[in-house]
Amino acid sequence: MRLMSLVSGWNKFFFAPQSPEPIAVFRILYGLMVLATLLLLRPDWLNWYGPHAWVSFSTVRSLEPGTRLNVLSILPETDGWMEAFFWVFLGSAVLLTVGLLTRINAILVFVCLASIQQRNLLITHGGDTFLRLAGFFLMFAPAGAAFSIDRLIRVRVRKESVNIQPQAPWAQRMIQVQLAVMYFSAFLWKVKGASWVQGTAPFYVYHLDELRRFPLPSWMFHAWVLKIGSWSALALEFSLGVLIWVKRLRYPLLALGALFHLWLEYSLNVPLFQWDILSAYVLFVDPKDVRHAIEWMRLRKLNRVSVE
Amino acid sequence: MTEFLRMHWEANVNWDLNRSFLEGGSMGGWLPKTKWWAISAFLVFHLVAIACWCLPIDNRLILGCRAVVRPYFRWSGLFQSWDMFAPIPKVANTRVEAIVEYKDGSTELWTFPRMEQLGFREKLFKERYRKFAENLQREENDPLLPDVARHIARIESTPSRPVKMVVLVQDWSAIVLRSDGSYEPGPWEQHVLLGYGVRSEDLR
Repeated sequence: MRLMSLVSGWNKFFFAPQSPEPIAVFRILYGLMVLATLLLLRPDWLNWYGPHAWVSFSTVRSLEPGTRLNVLSILPETDGWMEAFFWVFLGSAVLLTVGLLTRINAILVFVCLASIQQRNLLITHGGDTFLRLAGFFLMFAPAGAAFSIDRLIRVRVRKESVNIQPQAPWAQRMIQVQLAVMYFSAFLWKVKGASWVQGTAPFYVYHLDELRRFPLPSWMFHAWVLKIGSWSALALEFSLGVLIWVKRLRYPLLALGALFHLWLEYSLNVPLFQWDILSAYVLFVDPKDVRHAIEWMRLRKLNRVSVE
Repeated sequence: MTEFLRMHWEANVNWDLNRSFLEGGSMGGWLPKTKWWAISAFLVFHLVAIACWCLPIDNRLILGCRAVVRPYFRWSGLFQSWDMFAPIPKVANTRVEAIVEYKDGSTELWTFPRMEQLGFREKLFKERYRKFAENLQREENDPLLPDVARHIARIESTPSRPVKMVVLVQDWSAIVLRSDGSYEPGPWEQHVLLGYGVRSEDLR
C-alpha cells in the first residue's frame, strides 16, 4: 500500500499532465537572462575566453582536469572563432526566447553556456550557475509548447489544436527542485557559521566596499536590525527550500522571496544574480494563475489599443 | 515470499501504473511503460546526486555518492555550490593591484576595476573583474597568477616601453565590528601574491 501511494505520489508530482504555460514563460525569461548575461559580457568576450584571455585554456585545464562538456576545447583558438562562437550563442538565445526550433536551441544554449563556464569558472557567480543548471533540465522540457513561434507554425499547419495541450511536467519539477535545493543548501552553509547564527554576518556583507551598490540607511546597522536581518535570511532560505512545497504557503513565500531578492538587488552589486533566480519563481505559480495573468495582460493591451 | 511480493507487485503496483499512468501509451496524459521507467531512473539518479553534491553534510555515504557522481557532474556542468557569504562572510575588504616595472626603470601601479569607484552602468559591465580578483586571492588559484601577470604585461607594454616585471599584490583591510556595534576599517596591509619576470615571448 505504501509503495503504491509512493508511486502514485511520484506520478502525480512528475507526470500528471499540466499546462506547459509556466515552463514556456520561464523559457522566455530564461532566454532574456542569458541574453543579458552575454550582452554584459560583450566588451570582454575575448578578454575572458579568447586565445589571449586573462587565463589561458591550458592553465584552466591543468587546474580543472577531466573531460568536460566544452565546445571551446574543440574550436581553433583564434579571435575569429571565439567571436563566431559568441554570435551563434547569442543568436541561439534569441531563438530560444522567441521559441523557434525551441528544443535545438535549448540544447545549443545549454552547451554554449556550459562551455563558457567551463572555460572560465573564475568569473561565474551563483546566478550563472543557476542558469547552467536550469538550462540542463530545460533541454528536456516542453518549453516550446506555448508562447512560441514553433507552436504558431504547428497550429497553422494543423499539426496541433488551438488549445494548448497539457504535458508531463517532470523537467519543470527538476528546475523547481534545483531552486529549492539551492535555498536549502545556502541555509545549511549559513548555519554552519557562527556569525549567521549570532546575527553579525550582514554587518560584514554590507561593509564590503566592492559589493555595495546603493546607500543603506544608518538604522540598518543597528545590532538588533542586523540580527533580525540575519535570522530572517536563514528562515527564508529554509522556507524557500522546504516549505515552498506546501501549497498554502507557496505564494506568501514567493512574495517574501521576491522582496528578499529585490532588497539584495538594491543593496549588493551582483548584476543579474537576483533576476536569474527570480525568473524561476514562475515555475511555482499555478498554471491557472499564469493563464489568468496572461489573459489580464492581453485584455489590458486590447483595451489600450481600443482607447487609442 | 518472493513469489508473494512478485504477485503483490503485479497485482497492485504494476496494475496501478498500467491503469492510471501508463494507459493509452502516449504523452497525452500517460506515458508508455519503458519511457516511464527511463525517465523515473533519470529523475531518481539526478535527485539523489544533486542532493548529495550540494548539501554540506560530510558523512561517509554522501562523500561516497559525491565521488561516484563527480566525473559526470564535472562533465555535464551539474556541479554547484551554494555557500554564498557562508559559512562566514568575508571579514576584510580586499583588492588586487600590480606594480608594473618597465625596462627603462620606471614603475606604475595597475589596478583591477574597483567597483566602489565605478558608476551604476560601469558596474554592470565590470562586475566580472571583481569576481575574478576575488578568486585570484584564493590559495588554490595560485597557478593562475603567472597568466594574470603576463596579461597585465601585454596590456601595459608598448614597443618603446616594454614591461620587465609584474608584482601582483593583495591589499586588505579588516572590517572591524566595534563593541558598540559601529564600523571601524582596519589599516590597509599588503601581501605579495607573485613577482613575475616578463620574458620577451610573453609580450607576443
